[in-house]
Amino acid sequence: MFTRIVMAEALKNLKVYFFSGRTLVWALILPFGNGLYLYFLYLPFATKSVNLQFNAATYTIDLVGFTIVGQLLYSFFTMMLLAGASFESERWQGTLEAVLLSPANRIALLLGGALANALNYIWMLVALVLSWVAFIHVSVFITDLLALCASLGLSYVAIVALGMCLETLFIYSRRGGLLVAWLQEPVMFLSGQIFPLQSMPAFLLPFSYLLPLTFGLMAVRLTLLGGASIYAVAIPLVALASMTIVFILLARVLVSYAERRAKAKATLTQF
Amino acid sequence: MVRHSLRVVASTTKVNLIMTWRFFSWTGFALRFFTPIMTLAAAWVLYNVVYGAGKLAPGFGVAVGSSGYISFITVGNAFYVFVFAAAFVVGRVMFWERATGTIEATFMSPMSRLAYMSGIMVAAATNSLIDFAAVFLLGVVFGFQVALFNAPLFFCSLLLTAFGLFGIGLITNAVTLTFRDRTTTANSLMILFMVFCGLVCPVEFMPSWAQMISQALPLTYGVRLMRASLLDIGTVNVTYDIVALLILDLIYVVIGAITLKQIERNLRKKALFSVF
Repeated sequence: MFTRIVMAEALKNLKVYFFSGRTLVWALILPFGNGLYLYFLYLPFATKSVNLQFNAATYTIDLVGFTIVGQLLYSFFTMMLLAGASFESERWQGTLEAVLLSPANRIALLLGGALANALNYIWMLVALVLSWVAFIHVSVFITDLLALCASLGLSYVAIVALGMCLETLFIYSRRGGLLVAWLQEPVMFLSGQIFPLQSMPAFLLPFSYLLPLTFGLMAVRLTLLGGASIYAVAIPLVALASMTIVFILLARVLVSYAERRAKAKATLTQF
Repeated sequence: MVRHSLRVVASTTKVNLIMTWRFFSWTGFALRFFTPIMTLAAAWVLYNVVYGAGKLAPGFGVAVGSSGYISFITVGNAFYVFVFAAAFVVGRVMFWERATGTIEATFMSPMSRLAYMSGIMVAAATNSLIDFAAVFLLGVVFGFQVALFNAPLFFCSLLLTAFGLFGIGLITNAVTLTFRDRTTTANSLMILFMVFCGLVCPVEFMPSWAQMISQALPLTYGVRLMRASLLDIGTVNVTYDIVALLILDLIYVVIGAITLKQIERNLRKKALFSVF
């Protein structure tokens, strides 16, 4: 039953959003533009590489690769932020009450929405990575394929799990869109997407470590561009796995709270 | 006719200013600063922690004159708030008119549409001036310094850029109205300006294809003139930039006005004004 709900919700969202301007903009135009913007931010400097320090080792990474990987994972994160927008659409259409009246498992609903958004983006991500490697000749340096797969896989599930938590904001409040918009730039800054994490001011580092994107970026950059082994990225991988479990449990609590509160305050359909 | 249009501009400006300040949203206000703050902070970290002043590209000093990196970035980012006003305020006027059910009444009135849109732009630009000043103040925190203040050039660049952005706002509005779009067009426009107008690096440093795109955008010239007015950049050809900006302004406003008229005619014919 759980799987059927996930599939149904994912299919519904895919049908509605796959061939839409929203997906085109958020999954292609904005990542491309944002990536260029961040790359241009580096152009005034006379360097074409970035030094990533992790676990007493220093990895010199190509600037283009650093920017591209950062942007691709960040864009995946923003697609997860947007996953909750389907609840906003339900509210606009007046169908949110009906959805939440059904006995469907709420976690399955959230997971279905998050998976649909992940699928909306993942094909674009693969195409972009392949085209960049082929045409821009990004220096890829992989020594441990298992480490790369684990980094990508765990980053994926951890960010999807966080996306499920954030989806509840849209049930909780009509200002869900605004609340997630608030998260975008701070997350971009804190996650180490723009510059290496070792350059982050120390007082901000605790906030950085709360984000799965931080560990995802660290692991994927090191394994894809720096040639790190699975042992070298063990810490970020364990952190990603732990975060996945925590976020799924948290999503369960949050969705229950958001639904209860929205029903009590009768804010499910008011717009 | 001119007097009537001026009255429309004045009254629309007044209504919009009242609405902005009566229903002031702190969250929306703060949101407008996130991108400039993030860019300034990132630039500060890159300049002071990651690379250091010694790592600036040799051509950077020539392109930006005696100004420092942070001052260069601050001026670019201050302009971001005007783009926001053009894309998200002027560019979505009719969307919100439709959403609130007032679009038919607006289009039934005998006022000049251009005057109405001008009023909205004046209100948005007035509000943006506050944001504009705030970004400069934030820049001071990160190390922004004024090398000189050429007041005529400063205000000329502001006015001409706002005019060009008004034209772009008109075109965006037409697109938004036609496709019933809420944020897609505005977001795409924002990214186009952020990337290609030289907000974070001199246009000369960009790849040639990006430079070609930047030449078609009024903000490129506006930012360069603004930098010349504040940062003592000797390499800027002020006359060329002003003429280019004027020409682009005219092109965008004319296209915007024609598009708006066409869209109105089309929506009336197909009875699509209030379909939402």
